[in-house]
Amino acid sequence: MTIFSVTDFIAHINDVLGRSWDAEELCVEGEVSGFRVSQGQWVNFDLKDETGLVNIFMTVWQLHVPVEDGMKVRVFGVPRIYPKFGKFSITANRIELVGEGALKKALAALKAKLELEGLFDPSRKRPLPVFPNRIALIASRESAAYGDFIRIVNERWRGLEIHTYHVKVQGMGAAEDIVQAIQAANTRSAIHRTAMSEDEYDAIVITRGGGSLEELMAFNSEVLVRAIHSSKVPTLVGIGHERDLSLAELAADVRGSTPTDCARRLVPDRNDVLRDLAHHTEKIENQLLQAINSKKDLIERALRSPALWLATERERLGQLASRAESNMQQWLKALSDKLRNHVRLLASLDPKGVLKRGYAILKSGSQTVTSIAGLSVGQPVTIVLRDGEGDARLEKLRRANEAKQQKLL
Amino acid sequence: MPEKKAKKTVDVAKAFTELESIAEWFEKGESDLDVGLKKYERAMELAEVLRERLEQAENKVTEIQKKHSK
Repeated sequence: MTIFSVTDFIAHINDVLGRSWDAEELCVEGEVSGFRVSQGQWVNFDLKDETGLVNIFMTVWQLHVPVEDGMKVRVFGVPRIYPKFGKFSITANRIELVGEGALKKALAALKAKLELEGLFDPSRKRPLPVFPNRIALIASRESAAYGDFIRIVNERWRGLEIHTYHVKVQGMGAAEDIVQAIQAANTRSAIHRTAMSEDEYDAIVITRGGGSLEELMAFNSEVLVRAIHSSKVPTLVGIGHERDLSLAELAADVRGSTPTDCARRLVPDRNDVLRDLAHHTEKIENQLLQAINSKKDLIERALRSPALWLATERERLGQLASRAESNMQQWLKALSDKLRNHVRLLASLDPKGVLKRGYAILKSGSQTVTSIAGLSVGQPVTIVLRDGEGDARLEKLRRANEAKQQKLL
Repeated sequence: MPEKKAKKTVDVAKAFTELESIAEWFEKGESDLDVGLKKYERAMELAEVLRERLEQAENKVTEIQKKHSK
């Protein structure tokens, strides 16, 4: 017979119990009752069925699913007596929810809780950069989602650097895996940011294909939602599915409906951008041309105005000149008319005209003889006629009244 | 050559924003022709760089190995 001290006895029992199962081997399924968290770190509840009850103890950090009374769960852990109170319990290291109903219920509860905390608040959502240079892609390398995402990005955009973080996207440890990748990406980005390098991430993209609610549970886990919420780098989460949105998507800055949609939301179509580019340059060219033309107009107008002045002055001068000319011609005409009259008058006085009519001029030497006085018989004279002259000698002289008398006789 | 390429990395967002602001400047109908010509030159330079960037560069995918142990 062995006599134990109480402490030794409990230690012995715990040792025996501990040896009885390998880790991960013990799993107890039951309904949660009296769930409570003390001091923000210790989780305590009873697991029961119709006829039995066992106490469960664990830390909050090991609890990755939302648990509340009445839920059916599977508890993984080791049985143990707590020495101080002699209380038998299972120290759990993991809890899984059982059945779709429980999952949905748990999900709704977690969603309500996180919503209240403001993790899904639309006002804190950040926009993604329009033209990302470098991103972190968190996905399963083997998934169709990964391939689709890369393919669409390649179709749409160029020059993007994609750092892929290969992760498990479902099953045990998937949520933790993704959380670590988010943290690693944030750390890497922060290092680049402080180093003044432009190599920080513009976005973290988390994507996977669709699946059942159970398969997608990692994306509804609290740790992942919190990691996405606290990511310094803007997040884009897209999961292909037909059902409700996962909590990870609700917490993301931007969500895509599918991996393909994620790619579309991440990068613009370069053809659109090229079109925009052409539009901009065309607009700029046109505006510049317009500016140049308006300057040209200004210059032309400036050059034209003196020419215009000159033209009007010239015209005025022309008018004056033509007026002067017409006046002068009138004056000239009047003058020439007058002259012609004078000439006509003079012509009628011309002795040659008289000669034509049969009169003659009598000259003595160079003197014209107009009177009988001074003439003497035998004196040589010259008789001038219209077309010539002849010399003669005066034979006889008669005074006018003598001649008249003779005529009368 | 790869070093030169790295240096020539264009910040598409910055370049595009600058181009847009130039387009806006012109839209305002500013009349300073000297400034306009300078801006025009800059716009054409940006457009060329952007076009080159969009036509030539490929996307680069690199897998990051996680250092953390499980």
